Amino acid sequence: MIAVLVARNTFREAIRDRVIAGVFCAGLVLLLATQVLSPLAMGEGRRLTVDLGLSGISLLGVLVTLLAGGSLVAKEIERRTIFNLLSRPIARPHYLIGKWLGMTAALWIVTAGLGVVLWALLAARGFAAHALSLLQSVYLTGLELALIAALAVMFSALSTPVLSALYTLGAYLVGQWSDDLRAYAEKLPPALASTMQALANLVPNLPLFNMRTLAANGETTSLLHLGLATAYALAYCACVLSLAAAAFESRDFK
Amino acid sequence: MQATTRPAEVWPGTGSKAAGSTPLDESLAICVRGLAKHYRSPWTLRVTRGLEGLDLDVERGKVLGLLGPNGAGKTTSLKLLTGLLKPSHGNAWLLGVPISDPKSRRSLGFLPEQPYFYDYLNGIEYLELAGGLSGLSGREAHESARTWLGRVGLGERPRLLLRKYSKGMLQRLGLAAALVHEPEILILDEPMSGLDPYGRRDVRELILEQHARGVTVLFSSHILPDVESVADRVAILHHGRLVHSVEPRDLAASASRRVIVRCEGAPILEIPPAWRGRVTRRPGGADSEFEVAGALELNPVLDWLLRSGVKVRSVIPQGSGLEEIFLAATEGTTPLPEGHEPHGERGPRHARDDSGRPEHGILSPQRTAVGGEPAASRRAHDRRAA
Repeated sequence: MIAVLVARNTFREAIRDRVIAGVFCAGLVLLLATQVLSPLAMGEGRRLTVDLGLSGISLLGVLVTLLAGGSLVAKEIERRTIFNLLSRPIARPHYLIGKWLGMTAALWIVTAGLGVVLWALLAARGFAAHALSLLQSVYLTGLELALIAALAVMFSALSTPVLSALYTLGAYLVGQWSDDLRAYAEKLPPALASTMQALANLVPNLPLFNMRTLAANGETTSLLHLGLATAYALAYCACVLSLAAAAFESRDFK
Repeated sequence: MQATTRPAEVWPGTGSKAAGSTPLDESLAICVRGLAKHYRSPWTLRVTRGLEGLDLDVERGKVLGLLGPNGAGKTTSLKLLTGLLKPSHGNAWLLGVPISDPKSRRSLGFLPEQPYFYDYLNGIEYLELAGGLSGLSGREAHESARTWLGRVGLGERPRLLLRKYSKGMLQRLGLAAALVHEPEILILDEPMSGLDPYGRRDVRELILEQHARGVTVLFSSHILPDVESVADRVAILHHGRLVHSVEPRDLAASASRRVIVRCEGAPILEIPPAWRGRVTRRPGGADSEFEVAGALELNPVLDWLLRSGVKVRSVIPQGSGLEEIFLAATEGTTPLPEGHEPHGERGPRHARDDSGRPEHGILSPQRTAVGGEPAASRRAHDRRAA
């Protein structure tokens, strides 16, 4: 219940923040721009719209996470608004969970909103049947953003806003290359390979949430993939938030 | 507000020993035992002592004022009690619940020093959030938020965003947020700082109102007259230690408060020998000034002056009794040594009382002005006598 209250307040903060409004407007401009570029794609207009649209939604979501999520807790500590919260009967882990839930909800609203606009654009051009693949792709993007938001909350609870945004960006980039890290590990000597493999398993497996190529072709993914991705995202978020809570528990607020 | 010396037992209803042991006294709203806070620099590993071995009891329904110069440990003490800092040693209980348990803050209202707020919220939203986080249901939080916004004089524009509030309005909102769930304990850190005289008066009245409701209030302040006017007891912190405690009521009735009597004329009056040392003539211009060492002599002196045909122009109490006690308690004391030392080792000046015994609870009868005549109090007396 307490976590829900914190989440609601975080959501309200994120929605009233100009960053989210600005990013949403940028997303709309990007989606409209795909319609300008479509005629130049030599018959691949639908493919370009879906590919660019979904990539834009994902990148803009990451941008929101970096700008708003990176300062989620650190800004509260710097501005001392956290005094008003943690002096109440709130367990610190609940506070972090609430922050993550609120941020994730705001990210999902932005993602869903832009996804609906993208579907409307496709429907206007007679591709309304792509709704399912679009929905699946937007859902996986939402999971990816929830996972990155958990990392942002962890870094934000332990660092300054700028540093936590940088750490989150680093984790996102390394996560995108986690498949490459695994492939690279196979080419290394056995001693180094196991270390590289462990590192690749430690960073978030973000390619798991990428089905943009499938969606661009109008194909859907299996329920097993969706289930596995959901379970992986939930488990990874739980681990990250547990680590954050353990470190945050002993933190002093001077 | 006194130290209890009974052996440590488990507070009824709190369960196991793991929750922490505390003296069995349900009359206590706040119970602090050996609370210490040390900060270690991650680079130099030097230890700075924010608070050392604090023992403090506050009975339910009492008002305790925490006094001390900057860096004395007042804010550290309050932040430890509210869970914002983690103690290095010792423990404390709020209504019998150890402060390590978030439930201890269920009946706690806290106003931090220079409170900061979410500027994207309005007054009602902020108070609803505060009430909800303190355990009120949605409807209760909404009703209480409306009530308290009105009570602190901000009810006319409930939807005004907090970024448009003035400093005084924010302080009032902070007080409303501390009280929105009607707590049993109120902890206020410098509640009057930065307020104009009207704001200070309002805060004073609010503290007295809560006191009348039976709320236990613990507050810190630099403004001695404000502390003196609302606190049942004043505790003085210095260099991270509690060095003195006193009841302002006793000060007001104290026979040792100096008074200046200003008279017109009376150049040839001879002070009776019986009052030598207690009543002195001060050098003045055309008027005469007599300094009376204590209130006990005041009436006889006035009587003598009036009978002698002297016109008394004014009777002026000199300074605040609390101010003298405060200065005596905090002047000339040695700061806690920096660098690591074993826990429990006391600083050079405050480590032991004058008889060489180790000190226990500062608010215990041995250490209060009333019961034990501590060194600080004696120094104050000596200064006055001199």
